[in-house]
Amino acid sequence: MSAFIALSKKEVQQMAREFKIFWLPIVFILLGLTQPIMMYFLPVILQSAGGIEGIIIDPTMAKPVGQEVLASTLNSQFDQLGIIILVVATMSIIQGEKANGMMAFILTRPVSISSYLNSKIIIHYILAVICIALGYAVSYGYSAYLFTSVPMTQAMWALAFYCVWLLFIITFVAMMSTFFNSPAFIALISIVSLLCCRFIAGLHPLIDVVNPASNSMYATNILMSGDVGSWVGINIVVTLLLVVLMIVTMQSFIEKKKF
Amino acid sequence: MRLEIKNITKKFKQKTAVNDFSMVIDASECVGLIGPNGAGKSTLIQIIADILNADKGEILLDGQKISSMRNQIGYLPQYPNFFSWMTAFETLSFMGTLSGIAKNELQKEIPVLLEKVGLGNEAHSHVGTFSGGMKQRLGIAQALLHKPALMIMDEPVSALDPIGRREVLDLLKEIKQETTVLISTHILSDAEEICERFVMIKNGHKIEDATKSELLKRHQESAIFLMIRKADSQWLTMIEHLPYVKKIEGCGDGFKIHVENLETDANRLIQHGLDSKVMFTKFEVGIQDNLEEIFLELVV
Repeated sequence: MSAFIALSKKEVQQMAREFKIFWLPIVFILLGLTQPIMMYFLPVILQSAGGIEGIIIDPTMAKPVGQEVLASTLNSQFDQLGIIILVVATMSIIQGEKANGMMAFILTRPVSISSYLNSKIIIHYILAVICIALGYAVSYGYSAYLFTSVPMTQAMWALAFYCVWLLFIITFVAMMSTFFNSPAFIALISIVSLLCCRFIAGLHPLIDVVNPASNSMYATNILMSGDVGSWVGINIVVTLLLVVLMIVTMQSFIEKKKF
Repeated sequence: MRLEIKNITKKFKQKTAVNDFSMVIDASECVGLIGPNGAGKSTLIQIIADILNADKGEILLDGQKISSMRNQIGYLPQYPNFFSWMTAFETLSFMGTLSGIAKNELQKEIPVLLEKVGLGNEAHSHVGTFSGGMKQRLGIAQALLHKPALMIMDEPVSALDPIGRREVLDLLKEIKQETTVLISTHILSDAEEICERFVMIKNGHKIEDATKSELLKRHQESAIFLMIRKADSQWLTMIEHLPYVKKIEGCGDGFKIHVENLETDANRLIQHGLDSKVMFTKFEVGIQDNLEEIFLELVV
């Protein structure tokens, strides 16, 4: 246990020294900011950019409600650019220490592989949750200010679902980082697979049950309609099982000393 | 701590790095693992440090599997790599906590240890600013921190300049008083200075395992080295025909006389020389190769 705490503390220190603890939240705050402002000023932007000949902007157009804005923050900011940024920020989580020999070195001490892996995943997950929460909070505030306000519980539920998806993202990147040695390849394969997961969410109910990205879809659904499908529980369980499976895989991979 | 290495074999794809290697190191021995580059030293060291898994064989420390005895082992990698953003103090404190040492004990121990390895003034500098020798010394401090019973060091001095080498060697001499030490190196004079026993490895095989005196004795030539004045050089042509003289060869300023039986023939030769009124300026019985030569003989 003390090894786990020492390793976690080291992760936090490292993040602070690399300024990741500062720039990553800022990036997500900006991302959260973008969506409400973009949606609010879109008609103005279109108008002033010219080229609206033939396009009529309906002055009676219904203003989107806060829920819609918040939902589109999740699925068109966080789920696209957000994933890419998160992957790039976490891609060398294990690969870096594998490459410079620090992992092997740390494991010569009486440290279990699971506490090594868990400390990394948990700390990076906490940072990711903080970033997303900050970005989401800013988006929430601006939607309330520029559009309509969203009930707090609804917003919190959506965030909670999104955090399940987030756990899958971090663990998946960590697994790729364990398997492969090239950061570029890790980033590429993680981004492609995660975005694919997100795109196929909602395609077929059967796929949705096993697709971790459905959690992100549920988050959107809660905001849009206040209602989620009946398979939610199973999907969360499946996602958590996948996470555990990935951690076990990483553990046995390192144990067999294939790094 | 008694370290037993039993029939270790390790293959990387087609190449066999270590082949059926066995040896036993007794407590408080200091053993040098010597071999040319690519002989399998580092692989073997990494297997002992439990970084690599052996394909076959096992390693026991006091009869127990090495993976359960990690706290008894201090390991110094060939190129110790630390987090460059940590200070020397933080590095030791981090590694110490991983070894399960209590915080207040670390607070006490670390300054003493840093002083011992000569980094007392650098305790709060970042490791990223350290030179190779300083990193090596920090690596040694790290390996000593939890007071291991066995120290394994992979080429501890090969990458250092003469001053750094001297410092580290002196440090090692001190360490080996209390600890069992296994050092791998390809620089013989370093091993010669601190180790009593040498294990030579080539292409993954153990080719020699002996103490220094055994090695020297085994590789002694039955030859006499002598130097005489120029004026007496015709004496050499005389002794060439003696029955017990096998060969004469020039060697530096003197001559190497190969004989059949070293002791008796040396007496006969010196008597012969004195009878012929030869003035010897140097007369040495039994020419010993130095370890370097033995090493070359064995591995090439």
